[in-house]
Amino acid sequence: MTAILETRDLVKEFGGLVATDHVNLTIEEGELVSLIGPNGAGKSTLINLITRMLEETEGEIFFEGDPITDLEPHEVVQRGIGKSFQTASIFPELTVEENANIASFGAEHGSFRFNFLKHRSSYPAVQQRTLDTLEAVGLRSQKDTTAADLPYGDKRRLEIGIALASEPALLLMDEPTAGMSPEETQSTVELIEDLQEEMDLTILLVEHDMEIVFSVSDRIAVLNRGSIIAEGPPDEVQGDPSVQEAYLGGVEL
Amino acid sequence: MSDEVGSAAETEADSEPVDESPTLYERWRQIHDNESTVAALTILGVALAPFVLVTLPTQLGLPSEYSWYHNLLTLTLIWGIFALGYDLLLGFTGLLSFGHAIFWGTSAYAAGIFSANVTGSPLAMILVGTLTAVLMAWIIGWISLRRGGIYFAILTLAFGQMIYYIFLSPLGDITGGENGFTGVQVGSLFGVVDLGRAVPFVPEAFVDSWMYVFVGAAMILSVVVGYRILNSPYGAVLRAIRENEQRAEFVGLNVWRYKLMAFILSGAFAGLAGSLYVIQRSFVPIENTLNWTVSGDIVVITVLGGVGSLFGPVFGAGLYMYVANIVSGMPVIGEFWHMILGIVFIAVVATMPHGIWGRVDWLRDRVADAIGGDER
Repeated sequence: MTAILETRDLVKEFGGLVATDHVNLTIEEGELVSLIGPNGAGKSTLINLITRMLEETEGEIFFEGDPITDLEPHEVVQRGIGKSFQTASIFPELTVEENANIASFGAEHGSFRFNFLKHRSSYPAVQQRTLDTLEAVGLRSQKDTTAADLPYGDKRRLEIGIALASEPALLLMDEPTAGMSPEETQSTVELIEDLQEEMDLTILLVEHDMEIVFSVSDRIAVLNRGSIIAEGPPDEVQGDPSVQEAYLGGVEL
Repeated sequence: MSDEVGSAAETEADSEPVDESPTLYERWRQIHDNESTVAALTILGVALAPFVLVTLPTQLGLPSEYSWYHNLLTLTLIWGIFALGYDLLLGFTGLLSFGHAIFWGTSAYAAGIFSANVTGSPLAMILVGTLTAVLMAWIIGWISLRRGGIYFAILTLAFGQMIYYIFLSPLGDITGGENGFTGVQVGSLFGVVDLGRAVPFVPEAFVDSWMYVFVGAAMILSVVVGYRILNSPYGAVLRAIRENEQRAEFVGLNVWRYKLMAFILSGAFAGLAGSLYVIQRSFVPIENTLNWTVSGDIVVITVLGGVGSLFGPVFGAGLYMYVANIVSGMPVIGEFWHMILGIVFIAVVATMPHGIWGRVDWLRDRVADAIGGDER
């Protein structure tokens, strides 16, 4: 197994606050790694550093062996890191098909093209990818629906579909089941497991629902106050006293 | 017997669109979204507008001072091209520019000064004017698009004011300062066609001059190019940026470059329109070209017509031009035309959220429903 993503001594400071404190995280190809930690532990900051939404204070990030710290967010996506957002981040006024279509253009055509006089339908590879994407997340029958009119669970599925259209090697999922009903949560978990098997996807999952985390993860990294305090297979992490301390330490029982 | 015939006719009328022969609605859908249909409709509209708006009302007894006149129609088409390009930015990309007078104005000056010093060929003037606008859009977009929302609007406004004052005073020797540039020398098209002349064999009731044909051709070209852009990958990408910029970035699209392209394309339309304006007027008045009110007018026109539609802004230009040039000349109320325009603007925004064209679309959907389509 080779490392697909590696952070070396990654530090992010906001003023005096250290949100990411010398994080060394390595993710192997094909793994599903969960990132957990109490609120404010720095999970989102770490994700945003990897996607290049945030500029690091110190340290380096390597993707498939190459440093990515000098890249723009869209360049990171083009390299093969996809992101699914915490809220259903879609294009609400466009149809389901158009949503997937845009993601397919990004995947097939790279970050920019000078083709403003060519008709969209003259790119069959893009159209095919659009349909494949809709098929993968089970929304093909609703392709003409305006995305804003979908039920919440379907919006999240569409969101995941958009993130997957580019066939990323690594998918960052930020709380994919937040705000979902138990049934929707169940079907999303199944979707994640299917995707990992079918598409050889490596996933970094940020999730609050411990039941999901412990059932789907190959490995869990626990973040507290910006640094990784424990890392390992689920059963190992579960019994780690420092993890229990981090989750329960501040609470007067 | 008669009973049978009746029921047969009834089943045919009630049959679902799944039937072997396409319904009227389906046939209409097939031709509706198609470039040649759009071009044909535009040609028809441009060709019939002078007769319907200028000739017919007078013959029906409307006092000629309340009716459209040929020059105003030409001017409307010119502003329509400007608005069509502006809507690419406002309606489709979701960027509010308050500096589009820059592209309309600098192209007008470039075309005018070029005609006085090099050649008055209308096509050459358009080329020079449009290229100038593209260059300006490139530079100003490159700087202004680093900020979003209100900051972008303010930056474009600031650049507009800067260029207005530069043209007014430091460059006064070249631009004519507050008098405007008066040396415009418009030559003939291809060296043979004088744009001011009447078109042979065509009655004046339809087309009064070559100028209208020339501007009309530019309008048709603009609509076709605009339609192409909206149906190209850009059409999808720009709307995606309008809807959710962050998401667009995270499907791997270089949002910044697409926004810059939208700005430049929109500047190119403004440049074409600005050049045509000078060709029509043979004069570059600074207050009607670079003044910030022009940047405001184009926003009003686009919103009136309907943001996010291809044809809407052209109709917005028509309404605006009618109020500004004809209602303003009417007795008693003429003096208050600015107020009337304001009231019209409020009424349109309050009752037609998608502008005049939004209403047309709504009507079309009703008609489509009536002739047997249940989608859209």
